Amino acid sequence: MTLWLMAGLLFTPLAWAVLTLLMDFRKGRVVTWLGMLVQLLVSLGLWAVVAGDGGFHYALGGWQAPLGIELRVDGLAVTFVLLTALVAAACGWHASIYLDPAKSWHRYFWPLYWFLWAGLNAVWLGGDLFNLYVGLELISLSAVGLVALGGQAAALRAAIRYLLAALLGSLAYLLGVALIYGQSGSLSLAGIARLTEQSGGDPGLAFALMLMMFGLALKTALFPLHRWLPPAHGIAKSPVSALLSALVVKASFYIAARLWLELGDELGSYALAQGMGLLGGTAVIWGSWRAFLQPKLKQVVAYSSVAQIGYLFLLFPLTWGASEAVSMQAQQGITLQVISHALAKAAMFLAAGNLIMSVGSNRVEALAGVSRFLPFSLFSFGLAGVSLMGLPPSGGFAAKWLLLQASLGSGQWWWLVVLLLGGLLSAGYVFRIYRASFVEDSDIDHFYHPPRSLEVIPMILALLSLGLGLAAESVLSIMALPFEEGGGV
Amino acid sequence: MTSSALLPVAALMTSLMASVIIFALPEKNYRLRTLINLAAAILKLTLVVVMVWGVMQGREYEAAFTMVPGVEFVLRADALAMLFAGLSALLWLLTTIYAVGYLENSPNRSRFFGFFSLCVASTMGIALAGNLFTFFLFYEMLTLSTYPLVVHRGTPKALRAGRTYIIYTLTGGAVLLLAIAWLHGLVGDLRFQEGGHFADLAPSLEGPVTMIFVLLITGLGVKAALVPLHGWLPQAMVAPAPVSALLHAVAVVKAGAFGIIRVVFELYGLEATSDLGLLMGLAAVAAFTIIYGSTRALFQVDLKRRLAFSTISQVSYIVLGLCLFGPVGAAGGLVHLVHQGIMKITLFFCAGNYAETLGVHCIDELDGAGKRMPATSMAFTLGAFGMIGAPPLAGFITKWTMGTGALAVGMDWVVAVLVASSLLNAAYFLPILHRLWFAPQSRPWPEERRWGRLETSSWLFWPPMVTVVLTVLFGVFAALPFSPLSWVELIVLREVAL
Amino acid sequence: MRALYRYSLALLPVPALWFALLAEPGWRLELPWLFFGGLWAMDELRHSVLLLTALLWTVAGVFAAGYMKERHLCRFWVFWVLTLTGNLGLTVSADVASFYSFFALMTFAGYGLVVHEGTDEANRAGRVYLAMAVVGEMAILSGLLMAAQLADSGLLADLPAAIADADRRWLIMLLLLSGFGVKAGLPLLHFWLPLAHPVAPTPASAVLSGAMIKAGLLGWLVTLPFGEVSLPDWGNGLVILGAVGSLGGAALGLCQQHPKAVLAYSSISQMGLITLMVGAALANAEAAAPLFAVMSLYVVHHGLAKGSLFLSTAMALPASRAGQRLMWLLIALPGLSLAGLPFTSGAASKLAMKELLKPDRFDFALAAYLPVLMSAGAVATMLLVWRFLWVQRAGASTGNNHPFLWLGWGLATAASVALFWLLPWHADVPQKAWLSAMVQDAWNLFWPILVATLLAAVALRLVKQR
Repeated sequence: MTLWLMAGLLFTPLAWAVLTLLMDFRKGRVVTWLGMLVQLLVSLGLWAVVAGDGGFHYALGGWQAPLGIELRVDGLAVTFVLLTALVAAACGWHASIYLDPAKSWHRYFWPLYWFLWAGLNAVWLGGDLFNLYVGLELISLSAVGLVALGGQAAALRAAIRYLLAALLGSLAYLLGVALIYGQSGSLSLAGIARLTEQSGGDPGLAFALMLMMFGLALKTALFPLHRWLPPAHGIAKSPVSALLSALVVKASFYIAARLWLELGDELGSYALAQGMGLLGGTAVIWGSWRAFLQPKLKQVVAYSSVAQIGYLFLLFPLTWGASEAVSMQAQQGITLQVISHALAKAAMFLAAGNLIMSVGSNRVEALAGVSRFLPFSLFSFGLAGVSLMGLPPSGGFAAKWLLLQASLGSGQWWWLVVLLLGGLLSAGYVFRIYRASFVEDSDIDHFYHPPRSLEVIPMILALLSLGLGLAAESVLSIMALPFEEGGGV
Repeated sequence: MTSSALLPVAALMTSLMASVIIFALPEKNYRLRTLINLAAAILKLTLVVVMVWGVMQGREYEAAFTMVPGVEFVLRADALAMLFAGLSALLWLLTTIYAVGYLENSPNRSRFFGFFSLCVASTMGIALAGNLFTFFLFYEMLTLSTYPLVVHRGTPKALRAGRTYIIYTLTGGAVLLLAIAWLHGLVGDLRFQEGGHFADLAPSLEGPVTMIFVLLITGLGVKAALVPLHGWLPQAMVAPAPVSALLHAVAVVKAGAFGIIRVVFELYGLEATSDLGLLMGLAAVAAFTIIYGSTRALFQVDLKRRLAFSTISQVSYIVLGLCLFGPVGAAGGLVHLVHQGIMKITLFFCAGNYAETLGVHCIDELDGAGKRMPATSMAFTLGAFGMIGAPPLAGFITKWTMGTGALAVGMDWVVAVLVASSLLNAAYFLPILHRLWFAPQSRPWPEERRWGRLETSSWLFWPPMVTVVLTVLFGVFAALPFSPLSWVELIVLREVAL
Repeated sequence: MRALYRYSLALLPVPALWFALLAEPGWRLELPWLFFGGLWAMDELRHSVLLLTALLWTVAGVFAAGYMKERHLCRFWVFWVLTLTGNLGLTVSADVASFYSFFALMTFAGYGLVVHEGTDEANRAGRVYLAMAVVGEMAILSGLLMAAQLADSGLLADLPAAIADADRRWLIMLLLLSGFGVKAGLPLLHFWLPLAHPVAPTPASAVLSGAMIKAGLLGWLVTLPFGEVSLPDWGNGLVILGAVGSLGGAALGLCQQHPKAVLAYSSISQMGLITLMVGAALANAEAAAPLFAVMSLYVVHHGLAKGSLFLSTAMALPASRAGQRLMWLLIALPGLSLAGLPFTSGAASKLAMKELLKPDRFDFALAAYLPVLMSAGAVATMLLVWRFLWVQRAGASTGNNHPFLWLGWGLATAASVALFWLLPWHADVPQKAWLSAMVQDAWNLFWPILVATLLAAVALRLVKQR
């Protein structure tokens, strides 16, 4: 049973990708709908298996590591797989209605979409460094392609910039992997972790880790390496922006987190940890400030992503040298943050897309009267905003709470300032949008009303991010599921 | 879920469900929307009454689950919760009726009533919260659900007021969150408990706990409009009258005051707060707010702004009552929660009536309104006298109880504060009453509307009549077992075990 | 409908009057559900006050039925009824909350009567009235609060003992004296009185001066620690204030042009005389009980006399000279009664007062001056009466009076002159054969009137010569 599930997760998206490459937009759309359904079911199935039996290692084709591809399926991985399935399905469904079938190059959306999905699954499940690299590359290239799909000159420029950044990041990462392989002779994460535990900190390995962190930080758009993100996410089509902000940047972060948790204690240092945290904090403040000033709606949301990504990097100082309990709180907090941000940001971008389509302009000021005539779309945007601000009862709040506890518990009270101030600053740009929409413009409804299905999708995502707050405990308990030892050298 | 857990959840869900349904209804279905509004309000009131009955018999209603690891979401209906919940449920019903009439023929009613119901759900949650975490959850929900009500009209003034409101309340919320998280880190998840937790506090914890208290009061003080955190309140008057009535009588300011009550009585404990030297400071802030609010009210020309500053002053009575280290003083402060709510909502309803029926917003336009709208003016008169503390109205009961409590513990300066405040209240209310009844109408009404037999629409007419009758009843029949005073005495007996 | 409002003014106080005439001192009504536990009761003192209040309001109500114009009649009716309720209620209240409630009701509703006419003068008088009244209310509240907290009881009867033993007795007494003193027209707290009483409609002036002012006195009598402790210093102070009020009030009244203003100052002057008695009662505890009796007698006498005097200011004189002469005599009679003319109610009160305020019974410093002050007061009163008659004559006009005006004023004068003797008096009033006593003391009673008349004649001459 598990064999089929695993295959489904990695190979079927590739199959769908190839299939849709041969079709036009409409037929590709139908195939995608079918594919999304399959993927959702498979993801749910895997989740059920892990919930029931616990995590496990899985060697592809029966070839064990270090030669073969080893996948690691634990509670965390399976949660992210499910998250990907939900968000990607939502974005894909939205795109199938949102994108204009008349434009012939839109048919490339589907293959790129499926490649992206495959890459994401590869990253979540990957157990060794090289496979992670493969997944990362797949993701980056698909993402660049999706950004370029907009067609205008600005989109192409943004895509090129993104490509350069992605390539540089991948290069740094690969260099790091090579160094590590040279030193340890293994590519499996578990194996390397064991090695460093035994031998202690090694400056060569430490340098390798720093290189990899640099590369991954660049791909995750950590301040000050974030310059490629706002153009890319802001100019791309809304479903693409949603995918990018929600999932793509999280993939590189996921790898960075994995590396840090396994290797950071030995190979990292206090300075590195605090430094990354500091950059994250700066990102929060800088991103929020820039978001407040943007005249265009999607740019506001894009800079908001820059800000929210900053929170994620608080993982580094909060888990380095901290006690078991504090580290667990920090990890739980960051995980919730990742999930809730993914749901909320996807909802926000999709809702923003609906709003822009209805209003006919992408400026914030053009939103006057929206709260009267387009309440549904605005409401999904609003609910997503609540999660971003970290206000109860959303998932963002649960994440903030855990991070506050971790900061207090580890005595690093300065992150409290970042967390609380960040919340207030994000309220600044979120309420700017609310305010613009409450302006009473005229009594006539001159908006284009999008199809109901387009409006429902972001609402579902936003409600999920709210529900995450209420069900945080149960979600987290899945992630803490025991892990079956086995495999790896 | 057992029945004892079902009731609090159900009370919360009535308005949540109503909110969702109303949001989904198209704008033009006003009859159905009104029906749902009223039905939900009546249902909630019924549930609250059932819970009050149960609590009086000694039953316990509680619903809890772990939301985030390490902390619980708890809804608990105890005597103190029922005081606030009862007030909220009753006044929600009346304000809903009022709002239906007030917003007739204005746009965006679905949006308004949807957020209105959400606001009341949040208030109910605040009342029923069993620990600080749950309290905070609903406290922030209240902020979010009241913003659209404040900016409802969409005018530049309304939007500015909304911005001020959000800046104040979210910052207060951040401070509160800091305090709660810190407290959690120190002592873990503490449920509200009669008598508080910190009676035997380890000396090493005294410093942080004191700091946390200051932060808690600051965070809660924004909504409770303690000076200097009160700046949002007068500006929020730009909202429609039902919103002002709800904000100032029931939801927002009372939520802040209620939070302070919970913290002082059921988290820290009255004795612990006093031992840490915090009660005197709180009393000083409250006393200053009382005088400041009343003084500012004297200089306001707009009727609703005058009432706003009056609210700032009156809510601090509640806080001051808590600081009167004793059962009588505490009773006075707590009972003012109910009394001020009833009286202030009467005044705001009347102000709204004047605005809707005559187009009158400024005090100097009220000349001769008593002749045109006698019943409303009578309600306003009684409400004003209640604020001044004239017997036999509810406000007198509060002042008398608080004065007696203050004298009993030797804090005589409090009596001077009460007297000064009453004088100031008289100074800014009595001239309005003179204008209503004794000044001849000097110019035509700015925008008069006629409704047939009654002086104004019946939706607008009856709610203030009901509340003013309650004002009189709560005062005259204060000794009866079902009066707010008796209920409060019951609470205080359990809380202040001195 | 309008007729209902009008004529009910006369009928409303009648049940209270009936009750006052029939009920016995010692009546109690317990109302546990009221405020903090209510108690309404009637003792000797309260009985007299209730009698006066009900009677005066009835005759004034009859008068008002004829006097009031159609304009704002409903509004007048509302405030009249509220003030009446307050005035009646406070006389039977035996618990603090009820007493204070009715007192406050009377005070605030009385504003409506003061500003009824709507002139600038009336509004200004109303402002002063209200400002001072509110300050007075706050003082009363503070005093009652402190006393009640010390007594740990909500009943008025428990307050005097608690005040007597209090640490801060001086503060509580100061608050209560000044708070009720605003209503009673104590010097320095009296400024509202000469503004408000003249400017109100005539029947309202009658009850303001006749009955409401007595509420302040009642407040003193039921709360201050009479009979519990002897306070010679307070006694001295009050005697001084009483003297200032009695003589100063008269002096200011003599300068007034308007008859109602003269009467207002006369009320201040008379209350000054009563204040003398209050001071004496405070100074010596054992003198308190008999003094209460005399004060209640005085209250009834003054109230009725002042009421009829006020009502007469609005009467038009009949056309015939004989009719006019008769009318002037009838108008003057209550005035002369105030001065203490033998065989009037004033004489009875003054005799009773004289008997009690003998210096050798008291041992506070100013006790020796009491007889002098009383005589001076009598002279001053008569001078004021002459002044009143003078300005009244200057402004009087001939014409017809509404029948109810005749009825009201007639009843008032009859009550003051004759009915007074038939009313039930305080049980502790010294029993005597009044007729023979008045014959005996006739000269004592008469000489102040003579002196005053002579002074008045001299003054008239001087004025006429200029």
